[in-house]
Amino acid sequence: MTNAFWRRFLVPGALWLAFFFAVPLGIAIAISLGQAAEFGGVIYGFHPENYADALDPLFAPILVRSVGYAAATALLCLVIGYPVAYTIARFGGPYKNALIAAILLPFLINYLVRTYAWVALLADEGLLSSVAGEPLGILNTPVAVVGGLVYGYLGFMILPIYASLERMDRALIEAGKDLYGSPRQTFRHVTWPQTLPGVLAGSLLVFLPAVGDFVSAQLLGGPDTYMVGNLIQQQFYGADNWPFGAALTVVLMAFLMVFVAFFLRGGRAAERREALA
Amino acid sequence: MENGIGRREFLRGSAGLVLGGSTLLSAGCGVGQETGSEEAVKKVVPAKVDGDLLVFNWTEYMDPKLITSFEDRYKVKVRTANFDSMPSMMAKLRSGNAYDVIFPTADYVNRLVQANMLLELDRDKLRNAETIYSFFDDPWYDGKSAHTVPYAMYTTGIAWRDDKVEGISGSWNDLMNESAKGKVFMLDDFQEGIGQANLLNGFDLNATDPAELAKTKETLEQQKEFLRGYSTNAAPQLLSGAAWIHHAWNGDIINTRNQAKNKNPELYKFETCKEGIPVGSDCMAIPVNAKSPGTALLFLDWILDPVNASQNIQYHGYPMPIEGSEDSFAELAADDPAIEVSVEDLEGGSQFKELSVAERKAWDRVWTEVKA
Amino acid sequence: MNGPDELRPAASPRATRGGYDRPRFLWAVTASVYLFLYAPIAVVILFSFNGIKSLQVLDGFSLQWYETFWNDEELRESLIASIQIAAITTVVATVIGTALALGTVRSGGRTGSWLGILLLIPLVTPEIVAGVSAFVLFAQLGVHLSLTTIILAHITFSISYVVVVVRGRLASLGTDREEAALDLGATPWQAVRLVTLPALWPAILAAAMIVFALSFDDFVLSFFTTGETPQPLPVRIYSALRFGISPTINAVGTVMMLVSALFIALAIALPRLLGRRESGLAVLTGSSR
Repeated sequence: MTNAFWRRFLVPGALWLAFFFAVPLGIAIAISLGQAAEFGGVIYGFHPENYADALDPLFAPILVRSVGYAAATALLCLVIGYPVAYTIARFGGPYKNALIAAILLPFLINYLVRTYAWVALLADEGLLSSVAGEPLGILNTPVAVVGGLVYGYLGFMILPIYASLERMDRALIEAGKDLYGSPRQTFRHVTWPQTLPGVLAGSLLVFLPAVGDFVSAQLLGGPDTYMVGNLIQQQFYGADNWPFGAALTVVLMAFLMVFVAFFLRGGRAAERREALA
Repeated sequence: MENGIGRREFLRGSAGLVLGGSTLLSAGCGVGQETGSEEAVKKVVPAKVDGDLLVFNWTEYMDPKLITSFEDRYKVKVRTANFDSMPSMMAKLRSGNAYDVIFPTADYVNRLVQANMLLELDRDKLRNAETIYSFFDDPWYDGKSAHTVPYAMYTTGIAWRDDKVEGISGSWNDLMNESAKGKVFMLDDFQEGIGQANLLNGFDLNATDPAELAKTKETLEQQKEFLRGYSTNAAPQLLSGAAWIHHAWNGDIINTRNQAKNKNPELYKFETCKEGIPVGSDCMAIPVNAKSPGTALLFLDWILDPVNASQNIQYHGYPMPIEGSEDSFAELAADDPAIEVSVEDLEGGSQFKELSVAERKAWDRVWTEVKA
Repeated sequence: MNGPDELRPAASPRATRGGYDRPRFLWAVTASVYLFLYAPIAVVILFSFNGIKSLQVLDGFSLQWYETFWNDEELRESLIASIQIAAITTVVATVIGTALALGTVRSGGRTGSWLGILLLIPLVTPEIVAGVSAFVLFAQLGVHLSLTTIILAHITFSISYVVVVVRGRLASLGTDREEAALDLGATPWQAVRLVTLPALWPAILAAAMIVFALSFDDFVLSFFTTGETPQPLPVRIYSALRFGISPTINAVGTVMMLVSALFIALAIALPRLLGRRESGLAVLTGSSR
């Protein structure tokens, strides 16, 4: 089927996003160049100094920390999530679909409520501490924040990996087993490369939103876990300074896009290497 | 050559849309500049039912039974929408949504009044207006109390676990109590945080002088050494054992004691500090674009009724400046007089005033530097 | 074609080669993860029966929160609104997103990878800015905020998630089968319908589930784009941060989980009870083909 045929598939999405996303993005940029007015309003104009403010080195540690937490979250989700997706896809049998649905079921309960439940579980005088006999002291630490992030985003790693594993061409695995002999080698040379796109998808879906997350740090964090999402939120909710908040956001987005572009090019190079191996 | 959309056309098209969108706005039409007109503010509203009511409030801040009884009494439907902060409430007000009753804090009332966004209230139409403490007849934020009635009052102080902490001294220095190091929480609110540090240093609650702010910032950083975290939920933190000391509002401690009432409520104590007590109040007001201002007036009157106020206090745990409701709150505050908010506290306490855009920026800067 | 996976015994002899019992180890890991996922759920359910209004202190047993939920019409409206929004968002976003994924991967050349990167921008956009900009857009257009505006905003931000997930599977599917279908006389549309989409189905379904979860639990974007009332459920819940959440919300969550679990169980069991060999869910998801 020709490229032209496939290109038509782009039309509805492109139109939708052009209107409902690109235009608001333009609005956000316009806001970022404006001045703060009363009540969080904006006086539009051209004030690029907002960007100078946004590039203040004060924010660098906040950004680095957020990227660090998000990367840790993505890695943990991968390490925990891949085996789960694999197990269900490979050994789930007739219960496969129920098992996958069961991964998503907790999301029907509001995230805030589930987080408060974690507080009740992990608190110094909470349920798990009484079992352990002494205060756990986990809450209000970076561990708690990353834990909260992993909890919130795990499903977004498991599902794409499962989707790429499910109904994988069994003939490939059989061929691989004949070629490579051991299950470990088969996994490394056949299964894993096949699921790499799914792993990539999951990693993007976990890492990118996690950088801008603010709920986990707000509820489970300590004095030194301030994330960029909290910072941006403070500009809109606390300081009523929308232009500055918007400028910070644009800077963050630009940074992340560059980061992702590099990561994807690296990933594509790795894929090529795998294919040749 | 190819049919369908070529790459270049696509890019051109989308770039055009983005630019078009931004120029539309840059052409000076400022959304969020809506201020009402003088006439709209002075609109005469008869105090009778003129439609269903839409209340815009914090969650869990009003007894639902009062709402049901109002519905029964006046045969109207009352719907409630919620917001989580003042800026959020403002964003929804400015987005064109029409609410009948809103609950701004005092400093926001001031700004709303200046922007002509609140309806003038005819006191004669509010039968229960006389029961309001006279302090609110002409408050600083709303001249002659023309546009609002007060809802609940709160003070900020320090709550602590009596079984874990010693050496509480009645001062803001208690946030740096040695026996609770690593178990202290500060309110995650930049006004409250900077405010108490200002008071501790002997400055005015709303100090904005750069030299004073610099000193306040140092104080906040010193206090940070003792912190386990920032939070606006004192009750869960105290009850779960995470917090042995928590920068908190007086109603929080009532809430905490309530939850522990069958176990050990006496462990949770509250104090206000000698360097200064931030006092605040939430108000009720009617926006100019309210669809049912008459019903709204009736609703305000309903909430101001001393019997209803007493019942309401039992629900949300904050004192209300209504004569005849004191006993209800005194009952809740029986173990700890520091929780009470008396008229003297109102007159002697410090209130958060609104800050100009530049001042807000300065405060926000201090807060961010401390938190980073 | 391939033999269906599920007719194999769970632990084949080959799996134990290599020294340790692989399936058992993997199942242990999986079970622990499920425990991790559901531990707080158990606590939520526990506190929904709390005798006092607390999410921290358990004191007595009571059904009052379920009663409150039963009597609270606005809470029910919020819940239904959230479900409606999530359902419509899921359908529309999945369709648009799948089409975009197909377009970007299959229409070779640089447009595809270009767009692929651009499509990531919504993922890096913090919701608060998205919400603020959306609200300004609607205000400028003179559109009054309502459930519709929420849905429009949700769809916009969910499309990228669908694209990423569907691409994650599309990338490893070759075009050979579609070519074969064309050779056999199918039109391009038929090839898409009969070959591509079924092959993509697990990814499409996974994407739909993700979108539903995201939309159902969304607060920030919803807050800025909602009309006066009804507000979606998460908006009510997040607004409770100042004065505390009531266990009524736990009751809501528990009911939602029970109802959904029931649906899923029925979907699996019913056709079997009615005599078909495959489970209903399997038929729906086409995974037993």
